[in-house]
Amino acid sequence: MKRLLSSVRDGRGFDIVLVAFPLGFLFLMAGLPLLYNVLMSFQEVDMFSLGTFLRPFVGFKNYTDLFAQPETWPILGNTAIFVIGSIAGQFLIGFGLALFFWVNFPGASWLRGLFLVSWVMPGLVVGAIWNWILSGDFGVLNFMLRETGIISGNIFWRSDPNYSLYAVIMANIWLGTAFNMILLSVGLASIPGDLYEAAELDGANAWQRFWTITLPMMRSTIGAIISLGLIFTLQQFDLFAAITSGGPNNSSNVTQYWAWDLSFRQYDFAKGATISVIMIVFVMFASVVYVRSTRHEVRG
Amino acid sequence: MSDTNRNRLMLVIAIIMAAIYLFPLYWMYITALKSGSEMFATPPSFWPSEPQWATYAFVWESRGMGRYLWNSLVIAFGSVTLITVLGVGCAYVLARYRNVWVDIGLFLILMLQVLPASLMITPIFVGFSQLGMLNYPRLAVIIAIAAKSMPFFVVLVRATFMAVPQELEEAALVDGNCWVGAFFNIVLPLARNGILVSAILIFMQAFGEFVYSKSIIQAVELQPASVGLNSFMGPNTNEWNNIMAYATIYVTPILAIFVLLQRRIVSGLTSGAIK
Repeated sequence: MKRLLSSVRDGRGFDIVLVAFPLGFLFLMAGLPLLYNVLMSFQEVDMFSLGTFLRPFVGFKNYTDLFAQPETWPILGNTAIFVIGSIAGQFLIGFGLALFFWVNFPGASWLRGLFLVSWVMPGLVVGAIWNWILSGDFGVLNFMLRETGIISGNIFWRSDPNYSLYAVIMANIWLGTAFNMILLSVGLASIPGDLYEAAELDGANAWQRFWTITLPMMRSTIGAIISLGLIFTLQQFDLFAAITSGGPNNSSNVTQYWAWDLSFRQYDFAKGATISVIMIVFVMFASVVYVRSTRHEVRG
Repeated sequence: MSDTNRNRLMLVIAIIMAAIYLFPLYWMYITALKSGSEMFATPPSFWPSEPQWATYAFVWESRGMGRYLWNSLVIAFGSVTLITVLGVGCAYVLARYRNVWVDIGLFLILMLQVLPASLMITPIFVGFSQLGMLNYPRLAVIIAIAAKSMPFFVVLVRATFMAVPQELEEAALVDGNCWVGAFFNIVLPLARNGILVSAILIFMQAFGEFVYSKSIIQAVELQPASVGLNSFMGPNTNEWNNIMAYATIYVTPILAIFVLLQRRIVSGLTSGAIK
């Protein structure tokens, strides 16, 4: 007992205590729900069996039912469009801005940091602002597009099934661009400057330097950012809740919103769990890519 | 072109780009000050002709914002406290050792970091309802947020601890401190700033959290401001000046903290997330 006590005060015992509590907490509150999710996706869950663990098992019925529903594939397609569109927009604009701010001038780092306000704002507030900007009759975006002659009539961003998904994508690009830019700036700053000097002496122009030095040197950063982008985009929920609620007629619905909608609007917890399981497998895959590209940091 | 001229030109372009990027924020502040008729004017005015300052007091009163913001604060402080108490020690140990177990632990933590809240809420809600946790909805939300955000905190704080030289700690041990003493007297004070910045980041996240609160907290008087904003925005609302006033009151404290601590937050964020 005394040895145990002194090891807690003086060595590894202390470290194990420090790490065991948080990991235990995480296991209870994140690991177990994950397993419970898988369990529920194989059960029949309704309002009456919510209070018990011993619900009737139905095998893969939830999965087959899910894919028999007519809206499943369109929603999966929407998710793909949402993810690809958001990541492409965030990455390209973010990279452009990062390259611009890379040219050091007074005030550059302060202004660059200011862009991050989009990222620290609550998602619901961002959604509310964009909801108003995108408003059909009185939205300022429609006004600007009309004035510049890009469109002739108002686009009903939120209520037109052809545009509703893109309305959310636009808001999400705005939200995530700054974060991409900051991380890309860090990557750019870590490229040694003498590489460019050498290339310049050899007569490479700016375009060639970008393709032969910047991009290859940024490869692991870009990999990490794209996978982080995938993770964050699949977490995006608030914007859907604030702008379109997945409508009209599921035209802007994506899986992460749909899973919640099924559980908490239609009380079909088993279906909600089933979609969650499918999507979590995707997210896990992305995070393996992310962990691999930041491995040198992880190993210290 | 001389260097100063080039710098000035770059600065002007940068300011224009920042202005375009931050336009939505400007639009929020401006709309909140417009009157009901000015808000729907075509073409829209980009500067309010008669600023309606009374809107703020009206929205604060009519929506009961004091209560909403209080709940947000309770939830945010609760989760930050829980995360800090649990996460600091964990990050410290993970920064000190280099072995397979640490790698596995970090890998698991990173995996947990990526689980989307809107997908995890289904099992958490069902599990909490079975445990009777839904009778303490704010506590339930705090625990759920802590489980969601702690991995991020651990990753950030671990980066801070890695920057504390191990020799200092060893010197303290030689001087007769026990490990616990060395941790509290030497390491913790040196890592204080990094921990503080990470805690502020977590606080800002928890202050705006929506999915868990929306799903778990049914009673209106316990809901945070994000849920309040959501119920304010009905599908066919036209009170946009009031909604933007609500958003302004909600978001301005966060923006103020961010602008004040910008440099530290940005560097803290980048040191942990990538590199």
